[in-house]
Amino acid sequence: MDDWPAGVGRRVLPETDSTMAEAARAAPTLAGPEWVLALNQTAGRGRRGRAWSMPAGNFAASLTMRPTGPVDQIALRSFTAALALRDALIAVGCAESALSLKWPNDVLLYGGKLAGILLESLGDGRSGASHLIIGFGVNLAEVPDAAALEPRAVAPVSLREVGVNVTPEAFLDALAPAFARHEASLATYGFGPTRTAWIAHAARLGEVITARLPGEEVTGTFTGVDGTGNLVLETSKGPRRIAAADIYF
Amino acid sequence: MADKTRDEDVAFIKALAELLRENDLTELHVKREYAESDWLNVRVARQIMAAPVAMQAAAAAPAAAPVSAAPAAATAETPEDPAQAPGAVTSPMVGTVYLQPEPNSAAFVSVGDKVKEGQTLLIVEAMKTMNQIPAPRSGTVKRILVEDGAPVEFGAPLMIIE
Repeated sequence: MDDWPAGVGRRVLPETDSTMAEAARAAPTLAGPEWVLALNQTAGRGRRGRAWSMPAGNFAASLTMRPTGPVDQIALRSFTAALALRDALIAVGCAESALSLKWPNDVLLYGGKLAGILLESLGDGRSGASHLIIGFGVNLAEVPDAAALEPRAVAPVSLREVGVNVTPEAFLDALAPAFARHEASLATYGFGPTRTAWIAHAARLGEVITARLPGEEVTGTFTGVDGTGNLVLETSKGPRRIAAADIYF
Repeated sequence: MADKTRDEDVAFIKALAELLRENDLTELHVKREYAESDWLNVRVARQIMAAPVAMQAAAAAPAAAPVSAAPAAATAETPEDPAQAPGAVTSPMVGTVYLQPEPNSAAFVSVGDKVKEGQTLLIVEAMKTMNQIPAPRSGTVKRILVEDGAPVEFGAPLMIIE
């Protein structure tokens, strides 16, 4: 396994409300990037206030960083985060062939929902975004209660179910260097290599999928991701580039 | 959406327009959620003569402009280009707008609020990244030009802060 990335903080808490909230509180005082891992969350949350249930032994950590580059490229960390999570899973013993990606940042294990990634940028009024916080929740040990699932949600799966046992701390030690590697690639070479790697591991490429946008659903053949990270669907009316949507297989 | 539903929507919007005229109102906004992905979001507005609307000069509003109705995602703003307003805050990216931090919480800001530079005005989501859009300067929220959950393009005007 790779070494912990140089210059990056590592904080492990026995418990917090949510690592996203803790990271946001700490952001103004940070000198450099920092990972904060919590062994228990009392108010874990997902996208748009959705509850994120965290049974004991699961992984909840957030990385705080100062994103470089134009503000409209901050969101490309959805792809680097997904690739980093995939690499970390392979490093702890997951079979490569069991893992696939769903646009933009879902990592699927045998097609099931293993993890959630949440990205939030904080603005300061001048530069657009002062900090980016990337939260990772991974079902290392347990899946959430079925009652907590939303309709049409991808069925959850845990690492332990497939015979991989890893502690949250050990998983962080795999994830942090993987993310640093993908971030360095994005900073040095731009989105090109990230995009190529992401597409190489995408689920359902070339198949018909559905994107649910605000007020409409678009169904088409999933042909890839464009140079700015948009999902591209080939529809009966031509190609459609999509920046924000929920994807259903 | 089935035609029947569309007819019902049109009838509903007509009723709103009627309500607007009868009660001498300038604007009505109704959001109805039928199901998770089935909703109607209508803003019906009319211009009343000599209404002191900022940036309206070029439009030379007619005495009683026809009622404009905007079903669902189609947004019908007043005819001037708010992106050109001096206090316009524009979207730095393509994405989806959220006016509240979470679906059931209060909006970040409302029209008339005083805001400080750096204060979060709204969120634009792109590629599952929630981008908090801060006020570029201190001032007062004059107009909110986008609906919660609406798609926005790069450079689209979001709010006017003066």
